[in-house]
Amino acid sequence: MASFDFAYHVMWESVPVLMTGVKYTIIITAGGLFFGFILGTASGLMKLSRNPVVQRIAGLYIESIRGTPLMVQVMFLYFGLPLALGMRISPLTASIVAISANSGAYIAEVVRGAVQSIEKGQVEAGRSIGLTRSQTMLYIIWPQAFRRMIPPLGNQFIISLKDTSLLVVIGMGELTRTGQEIIAENFRAFEVWLTVALIYLAMTRTLSYALQRIERRMSVSEGI
Amino acid sequence: MIRIENVHKYFGALEVLRGIDLHIKQGEVVVIVGPSGSGKSTLLRCINKLEAITSGRIEVDGYDLNDKNTDINKVRTEATMVFQQFNLFPHMTVLGNVIIGPIKVRGLSKAKAEAFGQELLVKVDLADKSDAYPRQLSGGQQQRVAIARALALEPKVLLFDEPTSALDPELVGEVLEVMRNLAKEGMTMAVVSHEMGFAKEVADRCIFIDEGVIMEEAPNHLG
Ligand SMILES: Nc1ncnc2c1ncn2[C@@H]1O[C@H](COP(=O)(O)OP(=O)(O)OP(=O)(O)O)[C@@H](O)[C@H]1O
Ligand SMILES: [Mg+2]
Repeated sequence: MASFDFAYHVMWESVPVLMTGVKYTIIITAGGLFFGFILGTASGLMKLSRNPVVQRIAGLYIESIRGTPLMVQVMFLYFGLPLALGMRISPLTASIVAISANSGAYIAEVVRGAVQSIEKGQVEAGRSIGLTRSQTMLYIIWPQAFRRMIPPLGNQFIISLKDTSLLVVIGMGELTRTGQEIIAENFRAFEVWLTVALIYLAMTRTLSYALQRIERRMSVSEGI
Repeated sequence: MIRIENVHKYFGALEVLRGIDLHIKQGEVVVIVGPSGSGKSTLLRCINKLEAITSGRIEVDGYDLNDKNTDINKVRTEATMVFQQFNLFPHMTVLGNVIIGPIKVRGLSKAKAEAFGQELLVKVDLADKSDAYPRQLSGGQQQRVAIARALALEPKVLLFDEPTSALDPELVGEVLEVMRNLAKEGMTMAVVSHEMGFAKEVADRCIFIDEGVIMEEAPNHLG
């Protein structure tokens, strides 16, 4: 067998094709996190509800997602559920739904933790000046909780971005899948996987940099 | 203005208020003293319905707090609380803290609320701090903002729970000064405080609570 020769040019040549995968990785991550945030906020707040039924529903959702592997959730959604419902869904739809449902359960815990971390005196001060429960949540608790959510949310954003690589199992043409396809043609596993890894790294670093900036901006605006 | 009749309050098995009777008339300043754990804060919190009473009756400005038809948010704007730890909203400016009540609860326009808020800040001698954030202020300044925030609802009664005990000694005076002026203007106030000098000077009545009962009521002849 010939000795290994590192072919730089393969890395450069694969980039344009990989970018079509990057496009889907970004679409799925952005869509998944957008809906995941809505889902997570709703179920996180439901978990804090005084109504035990509402609480239980949110708990059931959160526990079932957190207690099962993402890979199984994805395959259930794409291969399993359509059989039961008698309709096909596209890999893209399945991907966005899976990432939304999955990140939503983790974001729910972030939301719940952040809201619970706000001092009880804040609620009391809000109620004491006549704000209703929901006004107190909206104007007093949420803005403060949201600030505390940013670091753990950022964490979850990065996890979800990386999780999209699991979507290869349903043939979704995101970054990892695109890498696989290139290697199937040129057999340059080393160069292509290295390139794929570097692109993921660039995306996660950009995301955490952006989040740091947001965090800093919010601190400045509050005179800290 | 406030009628408290035979109020009992339990926390689990612990009976914290054991039959409190207290009437506070309009314009009256009542100072409440008593040892730690005697139920002073609990009593004020019940008037604000931050705690629900176990039995008895509390009326604020004619509204029965236990009546299902009473709009508790309305009552809270009639009797507003100033807390020991200030509890300012850290994400809002000083003016923001003061105007949120008028805007969201009383439905004032932002412009009107701001004008009124500025007036109140003048009153507590903080006109130049309206754009500052709470954490940029001293404790005494924060507590004066909290008083302005309470006044912004134009309440009929102010409830103070140890308003100066979290303050450095040199900052106590400025807060008491504001409270003294409110008393002069005829504001009805219930004040839990250990500041005996203030009590002697400003209070119409002093009430001693121990273990959840009123031990002694002393009309203040010096006041
Ligand atoms: N939410 C609560 N749950 C259980 N027990 C409570 C609660 N709030 C107060 N207590 C108890 O009720 C009693 C009276 O408390 P309260 O805070 O009214 O006393 P206080 O007179 O204000 O004391 P201090 O001078 O220390 O502020 C205390 O024994 C306290 O531990
Ligand atoms: Mg107390």
